[in-house]
Amino acid sequence: MNFTLIDWAIVIAYLAVTMAAGLKGRKYVLGLSDFLVAGRQLRPHLGIATLAATEIGTITFMYYAELGYKTGFASFVNGLIAGGVMIFLGCTGFMIHKLRETGIMTVPEYFERRYSRRLRVLTGVLVATGGILNMGVFLRVEGTFLTIIAGLPLDYLKITMTVILLLELIYTVLGGMVSVVITDFIQFVMLSIGTILITIYAVYTVGWTPMHDAVARTMGAAGFDPFLNPEYGAGYILFQILLWLSVDTCWQTTAMRTFSTKDPETSKKVFFWTGFIFLGRGMMPMLWGIAALAYFGGGQNSLEAMPQMIARILPSGVLGLVVAGMLAATMSVNSSYLLGWSSVIAQDIIAPARRKPLSPRAQVVVNRLTNLFVSLFVLFWGVWYTLPGPVWFYLNMTGTIFLAGAFAAFVAGFFWKRANTTGGYCAMIFGALGSVAFFFFNVPTSYAGLGSFILAGAGMVIGSLLFRKNDHASAPARQGPHGTQRQLRA
Amino acid sequence: MGFWYYFWTANILVAGTAFALIALVVAIRGVDDLRHMFDALRPGSKEPRA
Repeated sequence: MNFTLIDWAIVIAYLAVTMAAGLKGRKYVLGLSDFLVAGRQLRPHLGIATLAATEIGTITFMYYAELGYKTGFASFVNGLIAGGVMIFLGCTGFMIHKLRETGIMTVPEYFERRYSRRLRVLTGVLVATGGILNMGVFLRVEGTFLTIIAGLPLDYLKITMTVILLLELIYTVLGGMVSVVITDFIQFVMLSIGTILITIYAVYTVGWTPMHDAVARTMGAAGFDPFLNPEYGAGYILFQILLWLSVDTCWQTTAMRTFSTKDPETSKKVFFWTGFIFLGRGMMPMLWGIAALAYFGGGQNSLEAMPQMIARILPSGVLGLVVAGMLAATMSVNSSYLLGWSSVIAQDIIAPARRKPLSPRAQVVVNRLTNLFVSLFVLFWGVWYTLPGPVWFYLNMTGTIFLAGAFAAFVAGFFWKRANTTGGYCAMIFGALGSVAFFFFNVPTSYAGLGSFILAGAGMVIGSLLFRKNDHASAPARQGPHGTQRQLRA
Repeated sequence: MGFWYYFWTANILVAGTAFALIALVVAIRGVDDLRHMFDALRPGSKEPRA
């Protein structure tokens, strides 16, 4: 057991404050837009906090540290692309400005406005499948981290997973996005403290030169040059740029932050500044992985090396603070993801299938029930599924199930008048083929991922050009907060 | 190898510093945004809601 009494006290105090704050959000939920997009009241600083907290979890630290451990400084290219793309979007407003203007609440909702209701449902199915499979490994990886760092036996993993899930489920189901935003803010502060503390301790304990030497000794030039590293290369880098453009615009949890901001200009500010946080979000955990390589000298399980190092180098008290930070990171990601994917099932699969629209109150109830369903699935998937390789590549390819097609359909929908429903179907179906190739035929991530985006783009162009007459729904996206809001808010 | 080593060293310095500074500013000024969100979401608020 690595935890002392003071560490437990810090963690329990943090959990109590988070739960109390999360439950406070319940009284502000009067309708569906409050539940899903916090009444679109996010201003820049709160927007940055909630976007960063949503996309920084223990899972993020684990997969990036694993990359650092396995591919050295070359792994930093992943952080550079993630942050660079976001800063670019914040500067230019490319896509995010238009997305916020549409006044939608979920990604597939756009497909009904621009293409057709059936394409919205297909997109909803692919988004929910990709998103929930993606989230499916979170609890296991996060549970592994917390169990190792607290010094608990690995037999406690399932209990740890269940406790994490129950805590975040309670406030997400009751308070929706309002609770998620409140807790995200607290969690952002905590996870930032934890991230900075671990970085300082890792560099101070291991030393910068030993990290360089460990990478040079075990990987040679491939540990520094991403073009020489067999895991990366030009194709992978191109895939990552496309992936991050699509994640920042089409990933439901990220897009919900865009939809929740006060106006399009606020969205741009949020993306610009969060981009700098994303540079650190990537590179700092990768540095921990490199530190673990230097600390142990190799030979460890690549996923477990970083938490094992942290458990050994952090003193009592600091360990509790860091675990509270990591727990914050875990809960902020999971609660947002629960809300994001369950809202897609409720709004884009169940609601369009009904002839008579549900009342706003019934829609909130359906959203809460889908929250429960997604939670149970994630718990069982985490227990029974075995990862096929590094976590990062699994996450990339589950996301690509819908990201490649959705990105092609979004870009064409906004910027190409000839884009039509057939093109949309082709983009979504062809875009999912790369993930099939990865999971069933062991095609490497860079080929499968880049191939998905090329196929999706080609599908959109060919489908739209070949079936031009099927164009009833291909008018430019209807702008403004009408329709959806009228339908969804009482 | 030399170029990439110095390139990544510069990157991590910029990334770490930016992360810490932005986190500090957001932690301080985010409280006002949070208060504003509560005011806007309160029943009877004059703020336009979605």
